[in-house]
Amino acid sequence: MDITETTIGGVKVAALKGRLDTATAPAAEAKLVGLLDGAAKVVCDLSEVHYVSSAGLRVLLKAAKQAKAGGGAFAIAAPQAPVREVLEISGFDKILAMYATRDEAVRGIG
Amino acid sequence: MPLTMPEEILLLMLDDKSGRLQERAAPSGDYAIAGAVIAELALHGRIDTDPKRLYVVDPTPTGDALQDRALAQIVAATEISDSRFWIETLAADSDEYREVLFERLVEKGVLKRVEGKFLWVFPERRYPQISDKEEREVKARIMGVLFKDEIPDPRDSLLIGLCRAAGLFPLLLSGQELDRVQARIDQVADLEELNRSLADAIREIYAQIARFAPMV
Repeated sequence: MDITETTIGGVKVAALKGRLDTATAPAAEAKLVGLLDGAAKVVCDLSEVHYVSSAGLRVLLKAAKQAKAGGGAFAIAAPQAPVREVLEISGFDKILAMYATRDEAVRGIG
Repeated sequence: MPLTMPEEILLLMLDDKSGRLQERAAPSGDYAIAGAVIAELALHGRIDTDPKRLYVVDPTPTGDALQDRALAQIVAATEISDSRFWIETLAADSDEYREVLFERLVEKGVLKRVEGKFLWVFPERRYPQISDKEEREVKARIMGVLFKDEIPDPRDSLLIGLCRAAGLFPLLLSGQELDRVQARIDQVADLEELNRSLADAIREIYAQIARFAPMV
């Protein structure tokens, strides 16, 4: 999976690209968990992710859990409409921080 | 040796002393077992789901006979269906799944097999518990998730959804506790698409039962 990293104002932004499913979940999880190390603040930018499966959702949940446990912060940003719909149906929007844009997310957890 | 989800849910559906399945767990217990098998396949990366489909990711057997039997069925299917279809389809074999699961729990020293007679006439096999360690551990994990506000592990979300599906929470919790955590049960369970499909499938069974029950 294509993952681009940047840092904006002390917040690490990981921009994922493509599908987040069983095939790409291990790489995505490793990257996000790695970035969260040391109580870091991480935004997962989903603007270029067109599909998230149940396995993909578990990665996002694990990252959020890891952030809480490690004293860091985790948020997802800019999900595409079909992905946002799945996140809302699953109630993910109530259990982790979700923002409409990357910049709002960075401000939100920064 | 840790129990698989199908073993855990069957254990929870059993009345500890009599060794018979809780009345309440039928008919949705069959769906819960099917759901548990699918849940294991999902966590082992063999299948994946989204709200519209359940699809094979890796057809390699897992080594667990029940999971592999279900996986083979899904692999052989000529068209892609959704989770609900597979829950209902696999539930048709739940008698056989239950037998295998009972025997496994006996082998693991959790249950013993008692051949008895039901109503003094009909042969009946019961499985009273001989080790309560495993069930206590499962219940503790579930309660831990329900009574705290942490983000659950996927395995625990799935298990809580299975318990909900099998109608077990009114048995595991007091009325007051149930009132207190019902929203949390639903929140945790509904994180998983499989649990939502399971709930839909079961709602449909009860709707069908209501439809055909005589009006008293």
